[in-house]
Amino acid sequence: MDILIDILLALLSVYLAFRCMLAPKLSKAVFVFFAFGLTLALAWIRLGAVDVAIAEAAIASGFMGVLLLDSLRDFSLTFSKNHNVIEVKPNNSVEVKNRSELFPKIGLGIGLLLFLLISLEAVWNIPEGGGLTALAGSKISESGVEHPVTAVLLNYRAYDTWLEIGVILMGLLAIFAAGGIKQYRKAGITPSQDPILRQAILIFIPVLFLFGAFLLYFGKMGPGGAFQAAVMWGAIGILLHLGGWPVFTEIPRRLRLLMLTAGLGFFLFLGLIFMTTGGALFEYPPAYAGLLILMIETFGAVSIAAALTAIFAFLTK
Amino acid sequence: MIKELLIVLLLLAGCFFFLAGTLGLLRFPDLFSRLHALTNADNLGLGFIAAGMALYIASPWTSVKIFLIWILTLLSSATSSYLIARFQRGQDKSKNRREE
Amino acid sequence: MDSFFIIVIIFLLLNIGLGLIRLWRGPSIADRLLTTQLFGTAGMAILMVMAGYLNDLTLLNVVITFNVLSIILVICLVQVWKKKKEKMP
Repeated sequence: MDILIDILLALLSVYLAFRCMLAPKLSKAVFVFFAFGLTLALAWIRLGAVDVAIAEAAIASGFMGVLLLDSLRDFSLTFSKNHNVIEVKPNNSVEVKNRSELFPKIGLGIGLLLFLLISLEAVWNIPEGGGLTALAGSKISESGVEHPVTAVLLNYRAYDTWLEIGVILMGLLAIFAAGGIKQYRKAGITPSQDPILRQAILIFIPVLFLFGAFLLYFGKMGPGGAFQAAVMWGAIGILLHLGGWPVFTEIPRRLRLLMLTAGLGFFLFLGLIFMTTGGALFEYPPAYAGLLILMIETFGAVSIAAALTAIFAFLTK
Repeated sequence: MIKELLIVLLLLAGCFFFLAGTLGLLRFPDLFSRLHALTNADNLGLGFIAAGMALYIASPWTSVKIFLIWILTLLSSATSSYLIARFQRGQDKSKNRREE
Repeated sequence: MDSFFIIVIIFLLLNIGLGLIRLWRGPSIADRLLTTQLFGTAGMAILMVMAGYLNDLTLLNVVITFNVLSIILVICLVQVWKKKKEKMP
């Protein structure tokens, strides 16, 4: 009977993915994408990966959704302005059209075929004994946490996670580089006049903070952790910005930069400090591993949340 | 036995309200009446299912958590209905923009 | 009891599929947002039933995530599009 749910979820997610790509209007594509994200989160749950489900729902559907809604507004603005300009454009590209349609099709076909072969090969060669699962499970008592996913992310493969925090910072830097850092504007949005919106934001902020802190701490023994908590805390910043209190641009610049780099810096600092006592990079002494992981996660969550807020504040000004 | 019957009834009631909400979303003529159908599913549908599952899981703390989730949903659905309705009313006034 | 839970989950999934029609057809952007709200709520209900069915209480955390994000999407749409209207001459 279980298989029915799985088949339905698989059909729904593939169908939504196709619909999202083939949508004739941007607004349709954006909203189908939200639905796709939610379906994917359900699919991750069926696969037994609750951590990924939370991250998928929070980042792919929530944070991406906020960014997409904002860019949808911008597109709608430019299209309504340039509406006539597009239609006036002369239609003299008849011969070019045939050639330019053929090559992408062939390229796309070859690419899809290669992708299919690679993924088939990957599915075919799944190790019999489950790969490293047994090894990861047997060392869990030394890792300082009880949840295997957190142990892998923050202890066994800490280097990867460190770089992941770095990737978010790099994304922010790329946005700054493309837009110019001086364009942070202080005012522009006045605090919302709507009492209900204001109260809703004020009620949801403590909920978000508590839930984020809970996820952060719960990562030790169950699905949760720094990235999921960071989205919840980042949502606080986004809500405040939306309500017309641009907190992120109000705090002093140095503190802002410290918040952005704290996670990356603290993680590297710890990794290097224990290298001087003879360990490898990012190797923690097992006695303190639990506490250190919690500290790293807290700093990491703060700086990812700051980065997400900064991306939003910067893009929607 | 009675407990199981009660769970089945509660879940069925929840499913009924979800179906009602979806049909209302599809069939009602304009956005404001569709909002009404949606809040049906939000409040009653989720409420009945939450009650059924709290009864099934039958642990006091989990029941409290499920109840709090339901309260949070009530809050957010009421707020979002208000916001969407007001947004739509403001949209209708200015038709100088094309949806893209 | 387990097979009944599966039936409920499948029913709610089909409900989501039915709601897609409004997403596709909905004349205004607010209609499409409404469908996303319905998806969120139905997803929450599915997750609650799954929490009982798989006997995994951590799924309730995903329920809270779904809930919190749906309200953020609404506030974002309302505020961001309102700002645009003010900017338009």
